[in-house]
Amino acid sequence: MVEFLRIHRVEITTLTLEHVWLVAASMGIAVLIGVPAGVLLTRKPRLREPVMGGANIIETIPSLALFGFLLPAPWLGARADRIAITALALYALLPIIRNTYVGITGVDPGVREAARGMGLTSRQMLWQVELPLSMSVILAGVRTATVLCIGIATIAAAIGAGGLGEFIFRGLAMVNDSLILAGAIPAAILALAADLGLGWLEARLRPPRA
Amino acid sequence: MDEPAIAFRGVTYRAQGRVLLGPLDLDVRRGETLVLLGRSGSGKTTALKLINRLLEESEGSVLVDGRPTREWDAITLRRHIGYVIQETGLFPHYTVGKNVGLVPRLLGKPEAQIRERVDAMLRLVDLDPQEFRQRYPHQLSGGQRQRVGVARALAGDPEILLMDEPFGALDPLSRVELQRQFLEIQKRVRKTTVLVTHDVGEALLLATRIALLEGGKLMGIYSRPEFFESTDATVAAYRAAWSGNLQFPGEDRHGGIS
Repeated sequence: MVEFLRIHRVEITTLTLEHVWLVAASMGIAVLIGVPAGVLLTRKPRLREPVMGGANIIETIPSLALFGFLLPAPWLGARADRIAITALALYALLPIIRNTYVGITGVDPGVREAARGMGLTSRQMLWQVELPLSMSVILAGVRTATVLCIGIATIAAAIGAGGLGEFIFRGLAMVNDSLILAGAIPAAILALAADLGLGWLEARLRPPRA
Repeated sequence: MDEPAIAFRGVTYRAQGRVLLGPLDLDVRRGETLVLLGRSGSGKTTALKLINRLLEESEGSVLVDGRPTREWDAITLRRHIGYVIQETGLFPHYTVGKNVGLVPRLLGKPEAQIRERVDAMLRLVDLDPQEFRQRYPHQLSGGQRQRVGVARALAGDPEILLMDEPFGALDPLSRVELQRQFLEIQKRVRKTTVLVTHDVGEALLLATRIALLEGGKLMGIYSRPEFFESTDATVAAYRAAWSGNLQFPGEDRHGGIS
């Protein structure tokens, strides 16, 4: 095993970095879309059912199939990593939208009423009250989404997008347990690290309860 | 006679087709403490929220400084009016200093002036600025939080102060302390105040005049002596409920069991 690690050192590092890139890029996109979408749902409750429903349906599509569906798409289909990032971002949307919505609607009504009564504009309310007070809940969504995507990203190797899945698929094809583990173990470590790191941040951002 | 600070003119408030308040005609004089007294569902909080346009009347108009609230920009109107609620609504992620300085900051006052104002307001409610400025709301007792709530409402130097059950969540001792302190502060700042409560004792202690609401209707407006002398059945019931508090059931005045 040690020997294996020594030989594949460079490749493990490269694929891990690729994996991190796929997940980081998709999470960035998902946050940029998901958080504003969640905020919008708190302002326009009528959109809640269709948007949450849509995100839920995406979540039920098997990942391999979703990668496949995106293959013929123009521009996206031209590069495997684009497809992978898009698919991962789609998966990440639901937990982020949901937690943003839940976090903001969960802000203490007393605080909200006092803020309105003191003359905060709806924008000030969002930036000074709602987002800071729901940040830990939103981050919990980001955390769930990140851990989920680190797992799903291994499948992206099936369409040639790289990442730690390369080892796993190669290991499966060659019936080589060491290769499978070379992909699975770093992926698991990544997921654990993301979970712990974001969990720590989430706890730090949790507002004190009055 | 002075123009009233706040005036309700034939105001009705309806929600889902049901009349929750009104028609209401009521003047609040400058510098007085008008207490809206009534039981839950009497419409007193609704009336209060119509003043700073957290709610909008269905008919009639509410005038603040002679101008219908509908014509005011809602944000300007609210910054012109201090607002204190039962659970204080302090921002849990802001320090006491930042909470109190909120409205002056919204009004775009310079930092140095805000700081000065925050300290003055904390001293006004009897909290040492050095000790409390940097604390967070969860590090305060209920009574201290409520004081900060009052300091925050007064920080923008509003003409009008609205208080919705401001002392309702406090233990009896803190409650009495804060009521007395409020009287002291009011003597100094003389804000036009509308205070909502269901507590007759509190109304009698704090009010210049008491407006009695029942089922969304105004039953009458009473000064303290008028409240004691009124022969109206509702007023009498309130008086009885209040003085009844001073006796134990099954005991006569001398403490013996009857």
